[in-house]
Amino acid sequence: MGTAATGPHGAPGAGRGAPSPGGQEDRAVARIAELEHRLGDPTDERGEMSYARLLDADERAELSEAGERALDEVVLNADFVPERLGGRLERIDTLVRVMRPVFRRDIALGLGYGVTSFMAAVNVWTSGTAEQQRRLAGLLLDGRKVSVAYHELAHGNDFVRNEFQARPADGGYLLDGAKQVINNADRAAAWVLFSRTSPAPGSRSHSVVLAERDGLDPGRYRVLPRYDAVGVRGCHLSGLEFTDCPVPGSALVGEEGKGVELALRAFQVTRSAIPGMALGAADTALRTVVGFARGRRLYRKSVMDIPHARATLSTTFLDLLICDSLSLAATRAVHLLPEETSLYAAAVKYLVPKVLTDAMYDLSIVLGARFYVREGEFGIFQKHVRDLPVLSLGHAGSAACQATIIPQLSRLAKRSWFRDDPAPPSVFRLHEDLPEVAFDKLTLAGGRDGLSAALVTAVDDLPSGSPEERAAHGAALRLMDELRQIQEQSLELAPQDRTALASPATFALADRYAVLLAAASVIGVWQQARGTADEFLADPAWLAAALHRLGRRLGHALPDLPPGCETRLHDEVLRRFGDRRSYDLYNAPLAG
Amino acid sequence: MSVPTTGRTTDELAVWLSDRIALYLRRRPEEIAPAVPLAEYGLDSVAALSLCGDIEEDFGLILEPTVAWDYPTIDALAAHLAESLAGEAAAR
Repeated sequence: MGTAATGPHGAPGAGRGAPSPGGQEDRAVARIAELEHRLGDPTDERGEMSYARLLDADERAELSEAGERALDEVVLNADFVPERLGGRLERIDTLVRVMRPVFRRDIALGLGYGVTSFMAAVNVWTSGTAEQQRRLAGLLLDGRKVSVAYHELAHGNDFVRNEFQARPADGGYLLDGAKQVINNADRAAAWVLFSRTSPAPGSRSHSVVLAERDGLDPGRYRVLPRYDAVGVRGCHLSGLEFTDCPVPGSALVGEEGKGVELALRAFQVTRSAIPGMALGAADTALRTVVGFARGRRLYRKSVMDIPHARATLSTTFLDLLICDSLSLAATRAVHLLPEETSLYAAAVKYLVPKVLTDAMYDLSIVLGARFYVREGEFGIFQKHVRDLPVLSLGHAGSAACQATIIPQLSRLAKRSWFRDDPAPPSVFRLHEDLPEVAFDKLTLAGGRDGLSAALVTAVDDLPSGSPEERAAHGAALRLMDELRQIQEQSLELAPQDRTALASPATFALADRYAVLLAAASVIGVWQQARGTADEFLADPAWLAAALHRLGRRLGHALPDLPPGCETRLHDEVLRRFGDRRSYDLYNAPLAG
Repeated sequence: MSVPTTGRTTDELAVWLSDRIALYLRRRPEEIAPAVPLAEYGLDSVAALSLCGDIEEDFGLILEPTVAWDYPTIDALAAHLAESLAGEAAAR
């Protein structure tokens, strides 16, 4: 069975980073437990929110009614509303954890019930007036939904070219034009609309408008027919069309003409947060395949004894730990290093969906033909495979995220790398309290990078006693060398490679940099876990294996890992399966 | 103090800007009219942020990353640069 439960594994450390009793961490743990309990064991087919029922709803292209009701009852919307406005939102890293129980069961429910409203609301928390914030908080705490519409199909991520208009008129605006593929357009109480307020070209011609459905002339807008999508089939994706529909001047969020900047700042929060939520779905995929591998026999052996299958389960678990480390650092940086968040948010949104999608593919090979079955014990796997790509499509394509990094590379190379102070340790501490988000400090490009600096500093501090420690140290040295190469190549970038039309090699540079940020996060998480009660995270086995995996991804020739790494990971995969614990940094108890 | 100590006039700054922006746009500098918004030539927001880094590098001036959005033509940018440089020099 491999279920030898040892010690208080998931308990936060008593030493550094220990949270205060009754503080943020206790509230987070209680909230997650509440959600797990309310949603129930998803593998129990009798449950209303079991995988079986969620698959039924997906077949009907509906969101689970029972799921939406449960989330209404626990007032999940409160988790999107800052505490000062009466909600529960204290920390972005906590919000990611709170959403995992939902994404574990159904990505469509996670997006369709909640995340859309959060994406919309962040614009108002970032730049709205006190009155707008109060009204929006009221709508959300009432259980209403809010939609967000940045994009128009014709312009993709080049949304500066958007044509949907809010024409200034009589102290207010006239909304005119159409927006497509908007989640919950049909049932939202309000829509956050990215609108053109001036015909001039450039980045000062758009504004963000918060239109409340109640005050609108029903003859001047309509909801367009629903889209039928390959994934997240239950989501209500449709469009909106306005015809000179008046909204008051008070609907404007932030300053007129500052919409692009507002959107890019709000994106920093949402791009850091949302990919990490999807770890819940990848957890289910891994858990499903572990269950399959334990039960199935081939070649007179359990699938678990086939080296390739066994290795795939361990490396997928590693991928989840890597993604969670980067997600942790980026979401905590929103609070602690807001000037640097543009980089880290882009790295998360670029790398995490990519790694998770690849991991799902690897898992599907172990699952074999069952991967194609739409129902039964393994049916949830194919649903998650179909739903997951939405994360990298919606809201910012991966190339758009690389394009956020590219113009900053040469400046970082000249001014920051190998010079900057390392990020504060709190960025890597799972359970430590954080100050409120400083929305006004988020900037489009800050020119500093404490995360890479933490990697450089760590290389000198890493121990090299055990074989695992030596493997980690060796891989870290190569990663530092990689940063040196990225620095040299960034200094040589030609001007035309610092535009959105940069060469593929420049986009590859942004890819390598994102991988390095992930490695820096992994090292930071391990360093801060040392000396805590978390025996697994404090063990150098996962550190060595994670850095090795990231190094190989960058093409580094690294010696094979000591055998202890693989054994340690494999045992942990089985232990968490048996104990019903989450496959992420938190080792959290699960309902099923 | 009307002459900036860097010795760069607004005209010289405009030449520097059009040379640099021409590289981003893959055009010749003389093709870029100084009073036409750069977005009309296809200067994207990524390049606009890069330009801000170049200004920092060559003039030691730290500007808002959105400077090319607020001063969208070569004329406007050159005037803003000259003013900022003069401000820097006067503060020294």
